[in-house]
Amino acid sequence: MPTTEPLKPRELDVRPALRGGEEPFQAIMDAVSALEPGQSLRLIAPFRPVPLFSVMANRGFAASDRAIGNGDWEVTFSPVAGEVDGTEGLALGSSPSAAFWGPPLQELDLCALEPPEPMVRILETLEALQPGDVLFALLAREPVFLFPELAKREHEWAGNFDESGATYRLLIRHGGGRAHG
Amino acid sequence: MPMASLSRWTMSYFAAALASLLAAELLMLAGFGYPAADLTEPATLIVVHVTAIGWLSLAVAGALLQFVPVLVARPLAMPWLALPALLAIVAGLVLLCAGFAALAGWADWPFELMPLAALGLFCGFLLLGVMLVATLLSARPVTLFAGFVLVGLACLAVTVLSGAAFATILSGRSAWLASVAPLPDGLRFHALLGFGGWLGLIAFGVSYRLLVMFMMAPELPARQVRLVLVFGGFGMGLAVAGLLAPATGIEIGAGFITMPLGALAVASAFYGRDILTLYRSRRRKALEINMLASIPAFAALGLGLPLLPIATAIGGWEPGIAALTFLLAFGWLGGLTLAQLVKIVSFMTWLETYASRLGRGPAPRVGDLVAMPRTGWWFALYYAGVAIAVAALAGGLASGFRLAMLPCLIGTAGIACELVRIRHLSEIKAEQRPSLHERPRLLLARADERRMPHADNRTAETSRA
Repeated sequence: MPTTEPLKPRELDVRPALRGGEEPFQAIMDAVSALEPGQSLRLIAPFRPVPLFSVMANRGFAASDRAIGNGDWEVTFSPVAGEVDGTEGLALGSSPSAAFWGPPLQELDLCALEPPEPMVRILETLEALQPGDVLFALLAREPVFLFPELAKREHEWAGNFDESGATYRLLIRHGGGRAHG
Repeated sequence: MPMASLSRWTMSYFAAALASLLAAELLMLAGFGYPAADLTEPATLIVVHVTAIGWLSLAVAGALLQFVPVLVARPLAMPWLALPALLAIVAGLVLLCAGFAALAGWADWPFELMPLAALGLFCGFLLLGVMLVATLLSARPVTLFAGFVLVGLACLAVTVLSGAAFATILSGRSAWLASVAPLPDGLRFHALLGFGGWLGLIAFGVSYRLLVMFMMAPELPARQVRLVLVFGGFGMGLAVAGLLAPATGIEIGAGFITMPLGALAVASAFYGRDILTLYRSRRRKALEINMLASIPAFAALGLGLPLLPIATAIGGWEPGIAALTFLLAFGWLGGLTLAQLVKIVSFMTWLETYASRLGRGPAPRVGDLVAMPRTGWWFALYYAGVAIAVAALAGGLASGFRLAMLPCLIGTAGIACELVRIRHLSEIKAEQRPSLHERPRLLLARADERRMPHADNRTAETSRA
């Protein structure tokens, strides 16, 4: 183990591997698995490894990146406090990256509406939003008929009941599905 | 995944169920079965089984296939079994009626039709049970609602198995079975487990969930609702004991049936209190047709179930027992099922037609699919017929009973026509109807398979980690 100090980031340079024609994904994942709790990973790559950002986000890591010249990039993946198990407690099918969606653009309280009115309101609201926008809704029950429709329209969602079990909290990110299909 | 899609074959179940109800009412209108025949004569048994299996069981099965996945937020397990189950149950029922006809001597058919019918019904209900139990157990923890359905399905299993034993005895093929299960005594427990356990307990459990949803009423505390399941389950346990007692050689008195009935009546008293609470605490003040038309059904339960154990305890008053049983089967179970069918069919049709259009243009509301107040008048006719029929049965007026079946039949036919019109979107303005090839089909829902991209990712991630 190169690190004895837990807060010092672990470094991984994938440039030699890539030059040698190797696929570095497994090495990166091994490095992530070997991280201490709270430890970050500093990755050096010959390009900006965008696909990795969402993979790491799913594992509870936020990414900050900077170009270091010659087309190389340094990316620091830092664990988000309390979000390492971000999917814990979320309904099955929830998007694991929801912790990084940013603040919702719009909030709807639909608890007093009779089904299927909440579903109607959410889908109507989504049509007016842009790809990437986030919507937050409170409902009286899990909207099981809404989820297939969200999936069909390529929106992502994450939801669960609050502690009392009386209110369902739903976060939806506009996935850029065709607005008028 | 908490996704629910439309149950593909539910509409076919409902269609077969309504056809059976119309057939049973036609038979009674024609004077077939009780009171013209005895309670245990083949003619009566045909009417009873067309009602219990054809109408009530298929309607409840179709509704469960749609709503068990919704209520436990899991997809239906093995949905491809839905059609074979329906076909096996319908084939079993047809064979059973033919077998009864052979027993009555109306046709020169072999008595082997009876065990064959039992085999069909056994296979059909087994497939249904496999789908529902697998779906219920895929969601943990097992909820109170799932408890009602599981106990109901256990009662169904005992009902089907005891029915199969009776069918084998009646065909004269098993002297051994006949020696351990004397028929007339077991029949009452068989009927009680079917109507009270399978249909009744499931009606209890499902209505708790649906009423909360339809009326926007606050959820009741689980310990309060659990009382209903405990007493109902206890009663059904006693019924199973009563059914098995002859095989063990234990002598139970003729009055034993009063005990399971009494326990069920206690359960229904707790249930009635809860239903009243739900109606009173509802946040949706205007009652929709399904909730309005359920009120006479709950009244029938409140009147019939407390009186039935009293009538059996007194003993010997057959017309009274028949009248109360009819009240519970057609007033409570039948009325409740018809009322909720209007809501279920309109909701499923709305979802099938408009889910993909929501937010992208005008869409009607679910209630707009139902023709009102006309649908309400059909229910008034149906319940009026049931009320007259109950009075006629109690008074021993055979012709009055036959006449009472006419408004019942007209009301049922009217409701069936309204359901067909809902499927055809007949109440919807032409500009809000989708093009002809996109409209709902009468018997088969367009339940396209939808997948959830990021849920699949997550599974892949987990297995990689």
